[in-house]
Amino acid sequence: MASLQARPSCGYSDGWRSLLTNPQSAAPGEPSTGAPLAVAVRGVTKVYRRGIEEVRAIDDVTFDIRRGEFLAITGHSGAGKTTLLQLIGAMDTPTSGSILINGHELADMQDSKLTRLRRDEIGFVFQHFGLLPTLTVAENVALPASFGGKRKPPDVKALLERVSLQHRMTHRPSELSGGEMQRVAIARALVNGPSLLLADEPTGNLDSGTSERIIDLLQSLNGDGLTVVVVTHNEALAAKSDRRLLLRDGKAEG
Amino acid sequence: MLQMIIRNLARRKMRSAVTAGGVALAVAAMFSMLAFMLGYQRGMRGELDRLGAHVLVVPKGCPYDAASIALHGANWPCYLKQDYVKTVQDTPHVAVAAPVYMSAVYDSATGAQTVFCGVTREILGLKREWKIDGEFPSASGDLLVGSETAKDRDWKLGAQVTLPGLDGASGRISGIIRPTQGADDLFIYMPLQDVQSQFKRPHQITHMLVRLDSPESMESVVNALRSCGAGLEMNVVPLAHLFSTINNLVQGTRFLLGCVALIALLAAGAGLSNTILMAVAERTREIGVLRAIGASRLRVFGLILGETLALCVIGGAAGIAAAIIGSRGIEAWLRGRLPFTPDGTLIQAQPLTVALCLLVAAAVGCLAGLLPAWRACRLAPVAAIQTAGGAS
Repeated sequence: MASLQARPSCGYSDGWRSLLTNPQSAAPGEPSTGAPLAVAVRGVTKVYRRGIEEVRAIDDVTFDIRRGEFLAITGHSGAGKTTLLQLIGAMDTPTSGSILINGHELADMQDSKLTRLRRDEIGFVFQHFGLLPTLTVAENVALPASFGGKRKPPDVKALLERVSLQHRMTHRPSELSGGEMQRVAIARALVNGPSLLLADEPTGNLDSGTSERIIDLLQSLNGDGLTVVVVTHNEALAAKSDRRLLLRDGKAEG
Repeated sequence: MLQMIIRNLARRKMRSAVTAGGVALAVAAMFSMLAFMLGYQRGMRGELDRLGAHVLVVPKGCPYDAASIALHGANWPCYLKQDYVKTVQDTPHVAVAAPVYMSAVYDSATGAQTVFCGVTREILGLKREWKIDGEFPSASGDLLVGSETAKDRDWKLGAQVTLPGLDGASGRISGIIRPTQGADDLFIYMPLQDVQSQFKRPHQITHMLVRLDSPESMESVVNALRSCGAGLEMNVVPLAHLFSTINNLVQGTRFLLGCVALIALLAAGAGLSNTILMAVAERTREIGVLRAIGASRLRVFGLILGETLALCVIGGAAGIAAAIIGSRGIEAWLRGRLPFTPDGTLIQAQPLTVALCLLVAAAVGCLAGLLPAWRACRLAPVAAIQTAGGAS
């Protein structure tokens, strides 16, 4: 079984060290441990324009996520959960405020650095799985590693063993169940050894039995030291988290 | 990446096939045109080289018709006096002046044509590449036959044969010309006087093949021949000039074909670009996923450009193959539309032509893929979550 260890971030250590002494700390759901910060969100606002209408998807949100923490972001539909996850995942930029991942300010990073950050530091799990239909399970898992940065080929077999899908290596996504696809997506998210796993409604398309396996898997990964952030409506999943961040109309509530 | 490109193309087989088919059509047209153009020039030059002459002296009339008859063999509509041969031979810088009496006889039973050429030994000064089994006709009744004719009629060296189409006439095969890959393979050569008497045209010839001591003396020889006393009855045709004139005549056809090929290529390129743009739109989420899991813009750009390029190269290769397979039909169609075409295969797969066509196909692929690849690489990773479709 592959074991996931919390590891120092690649090249961003100065940043998160400075965060350790940063007196500003988020109000809602402040983590109790003294672990270094994996994510720091400071006064983040995201405004979308729909024609002449302005939509404040995220409204002045501030919070921290410590290394090794399991955070569940909850809230009603349209509360801004997915938008917040996209911002943390360096997939979108905030209208104002700042986000630091492992001490690195995203706003200061060019596209190439953001790409490297997403590739090496962040694993992303989508509600719709996001597997490429033309690739096999093993190829899907190995895909992020093929984007460069790794000299050693990934141990895809070990990763698939970790998610109990070693027998499905040569199958195509269309031959898998929803739960299996999500486990493949989790294995893919782990292939570059990220320090942060972001999951957007990972059980959203799954039945309750399958959801439980995914929840157990995420909890197990977190137990191995991985920082896990999930956006969910699933109460069972939220209940397994260390801390909840409730979003209401784009604002964070304790 | 190559594997991904191939699998992505295979995902929508019909669409990929139709798109590649468009490229194939355009490349087939371009390949046919280029191969024909090169083959035509090569064929023309080969025929003129086999003729062995620098200048063709023919009776007054259309020089192109005369050249065509001299090259391929047929009946001549008018004649020259044999006395002019001496005038031509005595012109400074003329190395050889070989008189020819050519006539074609049709066999009404088989519909086949037999071409008889009355010649003197001077012809050997021009046909230097001839290799003769036996010997050149030295006496009346001797025959020198082309390899194809000998093979078709099963004529052997030394055999006494009846001359086809000439009632009761016969001759002895004194020599057989080894294959030349030209019209000589079909001709029957006889002493000049024999043919003149057979066709009842004593002291007359149909044309003269003239070789100069140096091609540089062409202008002075042509001027001298045109200004001599016999010049009024002779048409002096420099073959190099004839070659370029015929080339210019087919230039119009070539230009037309070139335009068709270019328009087809542009249309194929536009169609290809549109197809890939559609594919990018359909695969927005998938591309977003790639970006979200760490694919760089360059990587996405390369993937889409690679798919376009692969379609073009596959289409180009298929087009070239189709053009080679259909070359006989294309050639027959072109032969019916051109004033003069040399013998032999005109459309051949020359490595350079194949490489050039594949290169052009690749260039079209690169150009057509630029916009879709650019659009794809500009997609934000957030599209992975916000857009439906594309990835499982």
